[in-house]
Amino acid sequence: MNLPDWTREPLVHFLVAGALIFGLFSLQGEEVDPASRTIDVDRETQAQIALGFERLMSRPPTDAELDGQIERYVREEVLYREALRLGLDADDAIVRRRLAQKMDMLAGARAETEQPSEETLQQWLAQNPERFASDTRYSLDQLWFAEESSATAAQSRLARTEDWQPLGERISLPASLENEPRDEVLDRFGVQFAAAIDELEAGDTWQGPVASGLGWHLVRLRGKTASSVPPLSEIREDVENDWRSKTIDQRREDAYQVLREAYTVTIDR
Amino acid sequence: MRHKIGQWLLLGAASLALASCGASVSEEQSGNGEGTIELAEFPDRPYWGDTHLHTDNSIDAFGFGVRLGAEEALRFARGEEVTSTTGTKAKLARPLDFLVISDHSDGLGSTRRLYDAPRMLIQDETLLRWHDMMHESPQQSQRAVAEIIDGAARGTLPEALLDQAAAEENTRDIWTAHLDTLDRYNEPGKFTAFAGFEYTLMPGGNNLHRVVMFRDGSARTKTVIPYPGLDTGVEGLWDYMEAYAAATGGEALAIPHNSNVSNGMMFELTGPEGGAMTAEYARKRAKAEPVVEVTQIKGDSETHSFLSPNDEFAGFGDLGWELGNLSMTIKSTPDMYAGSYIREALKRGISIEERLGVNPYQFGLIGSTDSHTSLATGDEDNFFGKHTGSEPAITNRALNGQNLGTNAERFGWHYLAGGYAAAWARGNTRAEIFDAFKRREVYATTGPRMTLRIFGGFDFTEADWNGDWVRAGYSRGVPMGGELADGGKAPTFLISALKDPDGANLDRVQVVKGWIDASGEMQERVYDVVWSDMDSRRMRGGKVPAVGDTVDRATATYTNDIGTAELRSVWTDPDYREGQRAFYYVRVLEIPTPRWTLYDAVRFGITLPDAAMADAVAQERAYSSPIWLKPAR
Repeated sequence: MNLPDWTREPLVHFLVAGALIFGLFSLQGEEVDPASRTIDVDRETQAQIALGFERLMSRPPTDAELDGQIERYVREEVLYREALRLGLDADDAIVRRRLAQKMDMLAGARAETEQPSEETLQQWLAQNPERFASDTRYSLDQLWFAEESSATAAQSRLARTEDWQPLGERISLPASLENEPRDEVLDRFGVQFAAAIDELEAGDTWQGPVASGLGWHLVRLRGKTASSVPPLSEIREDVENDWRSKTIDQRREDAYQVLREAYTVTIDR
Repeated sequence: MRHKIGQWLLLGAASLALASCGASVSEEQSGNGEGTIELAEFPDRPYWGDTHLHTDNSIDAFGFGVRLGAEEALRFARGEEVTSTTGTKAKLARPLDFLVISDHSDGLGSTRRLYDAPRMLIQDETLLRWHDMMHESPQQSQRAVAEIIDGAARGTLPEALLDQAAAEENTRDIWTAHLDTLDRYNEPGKFTAFAGFEYTLMPGGNNLHRVVMFRDGSARTKTVIPYPGLDTGVEGLWDYMEAYAAATGGEALAIPHNSNVSNGMMFELTGPEGGAMTAEYARKRAKAEPVVEVTQIKGDSETHSFLSPNDEFAGFGDLGWELGNLSMTIKSTPDMYAGSYIREALKRGISIEERLGVNPYQFGLIGSTDSHTSLATGDEDNFFGKHTGSEPAITNRALNGQNLGTNAERFGWHYLAGGYAAAWARGNTRAEIFDAFKRREVYATTGPRMTLRIFGGFDFTEADWNGDWVRAGYSRGVPMGGELADGGKAPTFLISALKDPDGANLDRVQVVKGWIDASGEMQERVYDVVWSDMDSRRMRGGKVPAVGDTVDRATATYTNDIGTAELRSVWTDPDYREGQRAFYYVRVLEIPTPRWTLYDAVRFGITLPDAAMADAVAQERAYSSPIWLKPAR
């Protein structure tokens, strides 16, 4: 059976669930009235109490413990209803924040465990290519100098010789990089150098001097492979991680916006 | 019945959130990385990481307010932008290569559970009070955690919080989901996500904490759960690691840290119960703990000025921390310092080895953050705080008292901005980086990413620099962390230190030597080996003059007009005596730069007290792992 797309929207589930809860509450009429003075600790409620205990203690309660829990439950229920009757739930910062957090959690919960389909991820990748593009790769030769003037002086000599390596000053930096990702350039030469290399055109000539946090460089940028977006099969995990974290945020925000639109808010300035 | 339905829904949502979601992780990601990438012939670059990061699963971090979890921690370390708990956007200028998330094993996820627990089910009055404090306000929440740490130090935590059996199922759920998350972000060749936890032993508030890190992926790590620290002994932890290795074929190692607040208990000359140390204990310790975290936000543990009076650069990051143990329940006295700092521990190690034939303290050195914000920041200009209560959004964080203990003698400005670990490895995988830790080919920095490489041997010369000196180093000597057999000749070291390309210039390179002299006494000496502007900075009275100071206190800026980009030396021990056990490690100093406190003062317009202002500029540093010289057998 093919369901229309909108039925798969989590937001719709969220709203339907909300409507359902609302409907249940209305149907049960008298019983859900916090002002009621009848407390019915039925089997189902007892099972819930036992389950709650078990979640906390990792074992079921003994009969005596369950009786104790039920007694606590009744006591808390009595006080809870009296508190509601007195309107104590209003203007309570803790109650407000906690209920708000629970709403947020509900909105995001489905995305935390959902297995997104191939189509979903493919679409996600197509919509956000910049987040998955591979690093630009560089092939280059470089010479290092402590002073800019020495770098400039060496430049004219470079034009006259193929034996370029001895013209630089001694330092523990690689003289050449072969098809290395930009991150590697960043790691070895720092932010300033990587940004400068991004701006250079590839070619056979020596360029510079280029400044880095280490000093000055003459650079022969032999190759530059622009970044590309790999196919989904190679980066499925990245895409799924990204989809998941962004979707959780988005669903929370969407759920909030739907609710928010029903409100008129005025803020005195 | 309204509440009942609501509760059912919420329970459902909560258990869903805990369910595993790692079904589609590739085998390469979920293993230890062996055979996944092409490896270099020799370790060709240092890989940068943090082995000590807490997220919202840590009992204290959550209470301090952090709401970012492992997922955000991993994304941030890999270089993505995340929003900190207090709403500030954060992104590392340079990503890290690896990360160990080391949430406290005790009460893993329990603060979050306590926070989320239905109030009616909390029977213990103390827990109930903490629950309410956590919901009341961030300040109250931080106070609750201070009480929890204090309670842990005093051994007065409520039974309900300590009952590991009761918590085991919850722990297993959290741990399993966490391991799946790690695998999803683990990417051989690009980023390594290690499984780990912090073992939080602290009798009487004396810090004996260890970070445990695993070499393996989730198939193996899921067979265990993190080992609790409170009410156990450290030998129990080592047995746990042994049992894990035996059962799975995997491996784990433990990294002691914050010996500076152990009141002398981290590196004792005696056994753990006060009697003589046994060879068996020394052997177990050396095997389980090949690396020590020497520097982090809660201070630096290299050496104290009391122990090293002739070292004018001793005592870095000791202010505040030297006053007492972790919880400040017991004040420190100078006689305790010897067991609290690593230089003395390395000396004790070779002295014990002389007696027992085995060195319990033959360890390498790393730095890490111990951040409780899920953000592994290590630089002075991006300090995101020890915990959420000291994130930059709290603009007077430098002036606030710390939450540790109830005492007001430690302040925000005593925190260091962090530390990082560098590992010389052949590639970026779990196996390669773990093995670098195992063989101690690692080093510590207080945050800057200097490249530091040393080799020890007997025939290195200046001419080695002209060729492939790295190959020469490996073929004719040993790298940092290694051992040399005494052959009747003074050892020689190839030392190369390159500045952080985005940081300050270097001031000097020093060799720290410790040895046992002819009368059996432990000795130490710091040698200035090479420094910037050697022509104009001549040694006077055996000391190299200070490099100078370009820091403008009014703007928190400095210039690289002093110091140099790289320092190299071939250094031979001038005081070598045949047959004397010794160790050598290298300390690299940067020129003075602003500490995070000075950046805060300028950015937020706050006035630091005089003592903090005097400490607002420092020389950051790197510590290599030692090379040991041992009598030939």
